[in-house]
Amino acid sequence: MKNFGRQVYTINFLVFLLVVGLGLAACGGETNETPVASGDNDSTVTEVDQTSDEPLVILEWSGYDAIGYPHFFAPFTSQYGEQLEELLSYSFFAEDAEAFAKMQSGFHADLVHPCNSWWQLYVDQGLVQPIDTSRLSNWAGIQADFAQMGQFNGQQYFIPWDWGYESMLVRTDLVPELPDSWADLWDEQYAGHVVLWDSGESNYAITALALGLDPWNTTPEDDERIKQKLLELKPNLLTYWTDYTEAYELPTGDDAWIVVNAWQDAYAYVDSEGFDVTYVQPEEGRLGWVCGFGIGADAVNVDLIYEYLDAAIAPESMAAFANEYWYGSANLDAIPLIDEYIVDFMELDQAESLTERTVLYQPLTEEQRQTRVDLWDEVKASP
Amino acid sequence: MVNRGRVLILMSPSVLFLGLLFLLPLGLMALFSFRAGSFGAERDVFTLSHYQEFLGNTIMQRLLGRSVVLSLWVSLYTVLLAYPIAYYLSFRAGAMKFTLLSLIIVPAWVSYLLRVLSWKVILGSNGALASFLEWLGFTVDSPLLLYSADAVVITLVYVWVPFVALPIFTALERIDRSLLDAAADLGCSRWQAFTRVTLPLSLPGVLAGFLFVFIPTVGEYVTPALVGGPDGIMIGNIILDQFLRALNWPMGALLSLVMLVVVLLPLIFLGRFIRLADLAGA
Repeated sequence: MKNFGRQVYTINFLVFLLVVGLGLAACGGETNETPVASGDNDSTVTEVDQTSDEPLVILEWSGYDAIGYPHFFAPFTSQYGEQLEELLSYSFFAEDAEAFAKMQSGFHADLVHPCNSWWQLYVDQGLVQPIDTSRLSNWAGIQADFAQMGQFNGQQYFIPWDWGYESMLVRTDLVPELPDSWADLWDEQYAGHVVLWDSGESNYAITALALGLDPWNTTPEDDERIKQKLLELKPNLLTYWTDYTEAYELPTGDDAWIVVNAWQDAYAYVDSEGFDVTYVQPEEGRLGWVCGFGIGADAVNVDLIYEYLDAAIAPESMAAFANEYWYGSANLDAIPLIDEYIVDFMELDQAESLTERTVLYQPLTEEQRQTRVDLWDEVKASP
Repeated sequence: MVNRGRVLILMSPSVLFLGLLFLLPLGLMALFSFRAGSFGAERDVFTLSHYQEFLGNTIMQRLLGRSVVLSLWVSLYTVLLAYPIAYYLSFRAGAMKFTLLSLIIVPAWVSYLLRVLSWKVILGSNGALASFLEWLGFTVDSPLLLYSADAVVITLVYVWVPFVALPIFTALERIDRSLLDAAADLGCSRWQAFTRVTLPLSLPGVLAGFLFVFIPTVGEYVTPALVGGPDGIMIGNIILDQFLRALNWPMGALLSLVMLVVVLLPLIFLGRFIRLADLAGA
C-alpha cells in the first residue's frame, strides 16, 4: 500500500510539473491575451455605415455614458435613439490608472476618457491616434488653452471635454475657523477631522503648494520635504477616502470637517442635502483638472466615433452635464445654456483664466508618476 | 485491492484544476516579480532590482511585520472567543446543538461588505456603542473606535468567529466522552478534566482554526480600507496600490510572494499537528 501511495504521488507530481511547465512556457514571454471587445456582436443595424459590425467600445468614467445619460450626447442620442445599445458598449473605470493599465494590456477601446496628467503617457505609449478636428463641427467653440493641452508633437490627440476643480469641502458649522490656505490642513485645530483622498498625485500637489513649491517642478530634495510634510499631516487625519461615494457621504456625518480633495459635484450634492458646506478657494488656488476624449490607436469605426465626439462637444450636451455635475465645459458656447447660479459660483465662464486662477494638473512623465505613487505609499505604510 | 487506474483518474481533475488555476497563476506571479516592468518592452526584461528595493525598504518590511502581528492578535482573540462557543455547543447544547450551530453560521451568509460596514455604524461617533456610552454618562471622543487598528481587529474577529468555531467544534465532538468519565473516576475536578483531557485533544482543531484566520487576515485590505483609517493600513493595501495605481506589477507580485512565504512558515511548522478534516468541519 505504501508503495502505491508513493506511486500515485509521484505520477501526480509529474503531471503538476508538466502542466505548470507548459503553462509557463506558453504564457511566460507574451503580452497579455487578445484584445476584447465587450458587448454583443448581434448587429441588425443597417442604417449606420460602419466599417465593422461591432459596437463602439468606450472606456469611460461611470456617470458619463450615453445610455444612462443621453442628454450628455444630445445630437447623437436623438439621431440614433433606439440603436444606442447596439452601437455603444461601455467599459467603466474608477481611476485613470485603471484605464491606462487596461489599454496597455491590449484592451481595444475606440474611445477613452482620461484626465490631462495622463495624456502624455497615452501618446508616448502609442495608445491613441491623432484627431482630425476639421471633422468636428463644434470644435470652434472649444477653449483655446484646453485645446492646446491636448496637442502633442503638433497634432491634436485629445479633445478636452470636462474640467473642474479639486479643493477642500468644509463643514462651516463644525470647523472653529475656515481654512484659507492648503497649509491650514496641518493646523492642529482640525486634528482628527481631515479626510484625504487616497491619491499620490493629488496629495503630492497640495503638500507642495503648502510648502510654497511648484508641484510640477520639484527636485529630489523637495520630494523628501514633501514626504516629511505629509507624514506630519497623518495625526490630523480621520481616514482616507478611495471611493468617490465616500466623498459624498463623509461630509454629511459629524466627524469629517474637511474633505480633501472633493470635486465640485460633491459640493453640489452636500449643499443640496441642506448641510452648511463651503468649497474653499485657498490662497494658493484650487487644483484644476481637465479631462478629454482620445481615439484608440486601433479604432475601426472612425466615422461613428467622430459623430459621437461631435455630439459630445455640442453646446447642449456640454450644458447638460455642467448642470448635472457642476463641472465646467470646455466648449465656451455652452455657457449661456448652463444655470446661472452654477456659472457664477464655479466661475465657469472664466475658463480662459483657469490656468491663472487654479493650479492646473500638468502632464506627468512615467517617472514622475511612479515617484508620486511610491512616495504616497511610503507615507501610508509608515506608522 | 485498490484499483490504481481508477484512483488516478479520480484524482486527475483536481490535480488539473489545482495545477491550472492555482499553481500556474502563482508561478506566473512569482515570475512577474522578476520582471522589470508591467507592460511593453520592460516586461520582457528580467531583473532582481525589485528584490533589492524591497530589501532596502524598511518601511515596507515593518508594515509587513505590523500586519503579521495584527493578524496574530486577530487569530488569538478569535480563537479565545470561538472556543467557549464551540465548547458550549459540543458539551452543553444537547438537542439544540445543530440548531445553534446553524445560527452561528447564518451571519456568514450575509455579504462580507455589509458586515464590515455595519461595524462602521456601530463604532462611529454617532453609532450604537457611542450612544450607549453616552447614556451611561461617559463623554465620547469622536470618532470613538472607528478608523483605527482597533476597529480592524474588532471587525475581523467578528467576521471570523463563526469560521473558527467550526473546526474547534469538530475537534471537541471527536473527543470520546468516556475519557472524561475516566478522568472523573480518577479524581479529576471538572477544571482538571478540561485542561488535561479536553483541551489537549482539541488542540489540533484550535490550531486549524487559528491558521484558518491567520492566513487570509495577513493579506486583508478591504477591512483596513473601510474602517482602518491611517493607522489601520496593512500590507494588502499597499499591494493593491502597487497593482492598481502604481501599475508596478512586479513590485506588487514581490510583496505578495513575500507575504506568502511569511505565512507559509507557521503553516508548515504547525501543519504537522493539524488534521485536515477539522478544517473542513467534517
